[in-house]
Amino acid sequence: MGPLIPNGIIPEEWNSIIAIIIGIFFGFILESSGFSSSRKLAGVFYGYDFAVLKVFFTAALVSMIGVLYMDYLGYVDMTQLYVHPTYLWGAIIGGVVMGVGFVAGGFCPGTSLCAVAIGKIDAIVYVIGIMIGVFIFSELFELFEPLYNGYFYGNITLMDTFGVNPYWFVFIFSLIAIVAFLVSDFVRKRTKKIFY
Amino acid sequence: MINRKLAKASSFRYMILACILILLAGGLVLLPKYQQHEGIKPQELLGRAISPERYISTDEVASLIINQDPSYLFIDVRDEESYNKYSLPNAINIPLDKLLDEDFEAYLNQDEYDVVLFSNDHFYANEAWIICNRLDYKNLRVLEGGLNNWFHTIINPTKPTENMAATAFELYSTRKAASMYFGVAYPEQVKKETVPAKKAVVKKTIVPVKKKKKMPTEGGC
Repeated sequence: MGPLIPNGIIPEEWNSIIAIIIGIFFGFILESSGFSSSRKLAGVFYGYDFAVLKVFFTAALVSMIGVLYMDYLGYVDMTQLYVHPTYLWGAIIGGVVMGVGFVAGGFCPGTSLCAVAIGKIDAIVYVIGIMIGVFIFSELFELFEPLYNGYFYGNITLMDTFGVNPYWFVFIFSLIAIVAFLVSDFVRKRTKKIFY
Repeated sequence: MINRKLAKASSFRYMILACILILLAGGLVLLPKYQQHEGIKPQELLGRAISPERYISTDEVASLIINQDPSYLFIDVRDEESYNKYSLPNAINIPLDKLLDEDFEAYLNQDEYDVVLFSNDHFYANEAWIICNRLDYKNLRVLEGGLNNWFHTIINPTKPTENMAATAFELYSTRKAASMYFGVAYPEQVKKETVPAKKAVVKKTIVPVKKKKKMPTEGGC
């Protein structure tokens, strides 16, 4: 039956409208769970707040389990879902750049826009920084192009790479997640309480 | 009192959530595996199988070929050897055991042409028809009676006896004309015309079919 839009159950024209509605809710939830505070976001690197880790890990797990159940019951055809293509070295270097920016600036690109929406000055500076980065990247694109388009591995998933059964993978992954949550709680209790 | 109970229960809330997560993930591992049903529903297949649209008669095929209808593809599902010996003009050879090859998918799984499947009789063609229909391929027909019937009706039509209806004679003359098109020479015709009828060469052209691209839906963070 699903996915709904590629199979024509919801007309193609609704695509952007639904995206905007989901985007609004996503932003609202980010803001209401405190993710527009750079102190909370950076907390995961200093060990006093692990909300980011918990939220995104849980979100990934819930959606993974949900998609697998829906695929099993025949509501969603998993082969039709979009899998992000892998450009190995581009992803690694981009990830490092993004991580450094995350620690230094205290935002990830999505949450920075969220914080701009509630008027945080540091976030406004951060977004201007993103724009400058985008500009530099576009101007020097020819230099970066081999990295940007190279090392292409196709639309692969971890299950393809390791060749494991997706069900077992998800089970082990959720165990890892819960262990990670326990460890992060342990670390948080050990570190000095910070009020922000 | 109630509040204290509630507080006591809610102190376990993360444990409970973690347990639910593990249970759901473990449930996935323990689910009984089954071959997922691919293709159309059995009822739909049955509906298509009993539809009269499924067969195409040899007379129809003959008129399609003579009129050079471009919207039809003729697919020979016999093996290559028999195909090389004789086949319908412009037919494409897709042996039954290679039916699901990726090279041939573009011919069968498309929406632009009507596909006529045929073999010596219509049994192998029917087999191919069932397989392709289960995969929800569109516009498939089977040549009724296959090539044997083609020979009996078009190439070598039986002469109607005198006590038969006028329509039988009309049909005979149509079929006779068709057989002349396909290169059969009749003695009376040869006597009249000094030029002997040429045996039509079975052309094997390949009709280009656009390969369907399956585009993934784009998205991302």
